[in-house]
Amino acid sequence: MLAVSAQTIRQLTVDGFFRGCTYGLLGAGFALILGVTGRFHFAYGLTYVLAVYFAFTFTFRVHWGFWLSAVLGVALAAAIGGGIERVVYRPLAKNAGATALLAVFVAALGLGIAGENLVRLFWGSNTQAYYGPKKKAYHFWDTVFLNFDVWQAASGVVIVVLLALMLRYTALGRRIKATRVNPDLAKTIGINADLTYVICFVLGTVCAGVSAIWYGLKYTVDPGMGFTPVIYAFLVAFLAGTVRSPVRVFVIGIFVALIEQYSSIWLSARFTQTAVFVVLVGYLAYTAIRGSALMSKFRRPARPSAAPPPPTHDVFLSASETV
Amino acid sequence: MELWFNYIDQILLYATLALSLNLLLGYAGQVSVAHASFGAVGGYAMAYMALNHHWNFLLGTAFGVIFAFVIGSVVALPALKLSVEYLILLTLAVSSVIIGLIVAIPSLGSSAGLINLPTADLFGYKLQHPKDWLVPALAAMLLVYFICRRIGESPTGRVLKGIREDPVATQALGKNVFAYKVSVFGIASGLAGFAGGLLAAWLSLATPGVFGFSFSLTVFAIVIFGGMANLSGSILGAAVVVLLEPVLRRVVKIEASKASLLQLVIYGLALVVLMRVRPQGALPEGFSLWRWIRGERGRGKRIEMGEDWVPTSIKINEQDDALHSDTVRGESLRDDRWHSAPIVLETSGVSKRFGGIIAADDLTIELRRGTITALVGPNGAGKTTVFNLLTGAIQPDSGSVLLNGTELIGMSPDKVARRGLVRSFQDVRLINRISCLQNVMMAVQQQPGENMGTLMFNHRKVVAGERETREKALGWLGFVGMKDFADVPAGALSYGQSKLVSLARVMATEAEVLLLDEPASGIDTKWVDTMLGLIEEVRDQGRTVCVVEHNLHVVGRLADHTYFMELGRITAQGTIAELTNTPRLAEAYFGTA
Repeated sequence: MLAVSAQTIRQLTVDGFFRGCTYGLLGAGFALILGVTGRFHFAYGLTYVLAVYFAFTFTFRVHWGFWLSAVLGVALAAAIGGGIERVVYRPLAKNAGATALLAVFVAALGLGIAGENLVRLFWGSNTQAYYGPKKKAYHFWDTVFLNFDVWQAASGVVIVVLLALMLRYTALGRRIKATRVNPDLAKTIGINADLTYVICFVLGTVCAGVSAIWYGLKYTVDPGMGFTPVIYAFLVAFLAGTVRSPVRVFVIGIFVALIEQYSSIWLSARFTQTAVFVVLVGYLAYTAIRGSALMSKFRRPARPSAAPPPPTHDVFLSASETV
Repeated sequence: MELWFNYIDQILLYATLALSLNLLLGYAGQVSVAHASFGAVGGYAMAYMALNHHWNFLLGTAFGVIFAFVIGSVVALPALKLSVEYLILLTLAVSSVIIGLIVAIPSLGSSAGLINLPTADLFGYKLQHPKDWLVPALAAMLLVYFICRRIGESPTGRVLKGIREDPVATQALGKNVFAYKVSVFGIASGLAGFAGGLLAAWLSLATPGVFGFSFSLTVFAIVIFGGMANLSGSILGAAVVVLLEPVLRRVVKIEASKASLLQLVIYGLALVVLMRVRPQGALPEGFSLWRWIRGERGRGKRIEMGEDWVPTSIKINEQDDALHSDTVRGESLRDDRWHSAPIVLETSGVSKRFGGIIAADDLTIELRRGTITALVGPNGAGKTTVFNLLTGAIQPDSGSVLLNGTELIGMSPDKVARRGLVRSFQDVRLINRISCLQNVMMAVQQQPGENMGTLMFNHRKVVAGERETREKALGWLGFVGMKDFADVPAGALSYGQSKLVSLARVMATEAEVLLLDEPASGIDTKWVDTMLGLIEEVRDQGRTVCVVEHNLHVVGRLADHTYFMELGRITAQGTIAELTNTPRLAEAYFGTA
């Protein structure tokens, strides 16, 4: 039996909670993009990096205030996120047809590689410190956390709740959900599905950007920092289900981070990520063996199906027949 | 010059890895972003054995191949039922776990890896310089190319393509999708281990960085770039990706530190542009460089497919017409035939509930040899569910299905199909990207080329079997009058034509019992006659047929016996005339009394 003090458990729980807010927010953004548009947006990590680098530049080169820079940085990254959908993914998916998912995945991979190295060319490959408001540590019930942690958690909760409310109660939310279920059908009732896709990319990128700002403040900034978050976003979104409420995704994110933190009791910190993936492989194995019930929860990439034409000579069919 | 030899070695070894991934990704459609980590298994096994036990690198690699094969087969188990997105996630996790475990084992050098391996020794020749590696690397690549080609362009490859596009339809033709997926995962992983072992020997080291996730993505990109299910494409892809660096360095004269970054930027953008311009890859599936050089472009001859086109080989059977016109006489005759025929398939008490919905309630159905049984009823009555229950696609909660006395309940769909109970699908489900002939050939049972052992070691038998399969398939295509379309991809057919090909496909299984799901729906009136004539011919061959059909003209002409289904229950049976004369049924079905 390993001796673990109650204090360690408390500290791990607190750390896990705050880290989980990041995972949850990242996951909610990724789930919105993947669930609605079906685009395998691996360049999500790129927009994450760009948000913090833009903010960094506005603060230290243009000398604007931290908050203004942060908002502008996230907004600019979000615009790029939407732009990627409009300029890269949409034409590509239309061209690729049935193999759109893989084509988008590879293009996203390419964008990620190209983008990361452009960042290195412009801003240098070094790790850089990013300062904003003064760092403050709080002590509460034997645990320590930073003011950045609190802000990060708070902004995560606010964004996710807003997203959930928007999806539930607004016209835009209904539009997004309609597109998620069936983009082609949504078009026939006058919804601009293409625009909805772009909106989802913008909203999803905001989630990534906000996470990135807090991460940069708490730690440092480097061009390769986008890789791990995209993996976690991906993982959390899948565990939660990409067509589920952002609140659920957020909670699953916290859950994943707690597993990761607690596993550090037994494992060295380097292997906590491996532990999370072992759990994931186990979970996937379990769901695959349990049957295909899980698959129906996720929309397969929409592709034009060869729908049979209505029977022409079936005189006995009544009007109530649906094809 | 030495430098260029180095690049050629690298191309050959990268191509080896990419070829093995192409077998998995291109042919079987199983997306894996963990391929480099299977290479790592081979590489580390080789390195560990070389350092600690002074094993020759080939022996060590062979050891690694076995390791990678086993791990790959195990990974295949959770991968079996996953959709593409899930597979990416699963393999990503597997990649991370494998590399994580390697780093966690101190005797494998932790994060520093195993370095300073002894110079590789091939039958007494020291492979010291890049030039020495040219021949072994080329031989390795050709070996893997040969294996992948053997598997990919064979009856097995045909099944793999079927699994790639429609596992359900493939399984319904009697193919053990489970075994194919596990073995292709295992083989591709084993080949990756082979490539990884050689790569580590060539580099004289095995580190987590070399076989990291980014290398997996590079290999993945090579396959997509070159073209899925095109092996030459993977070699081309490897050459392009490897040569990008030196070429850029010569062309763009900038300082070295920036050059490598710029190269990656260009590489990334090239992927984007390529996917935009040519999503199917540089050399698409079915494209042969050799044929292209010789000037033979395109596959098969183009055929005009006008609306007036009617299958050529169908002669309208006078006798059938007589039968058709004299319904009353025909009815009693067919009823007698049904009663005197022996029972082939018998279900009793088959029930299935989905939550609160009763999809099938105590079904008792008999199918008799040489007769056509029809299943009619309003939409949602559960007719297609009956097919799913009979073929094992859905397991019933209770009941029994006996085919010639053998219990079918509990068998997987492919096993049921191999027993002689085969279904067609309402939505046709042909494999769109392969030709009509290949679609029908796939359905032929017991092909020698579907066995991996025979495929590898008894080529003559495979070729003979393939010739026989081809003849059979052409025969069935001829039977439905679609012989002219043998080389046309199934996706290019009209709906009616695809229904004919799907009938040929079901026929080619030579199953005793055929379940046809709405064979005549959604096709033109003049096609209906053709289709019905064919089904009658099938019956006259002594096969047992069951059709689900909405069109009562069709049922009236075909059925010897009719079951009427409502809400998962069989509420009446008899001849169609008996059923249509029952006012309650007429109302249930037609909405009018």
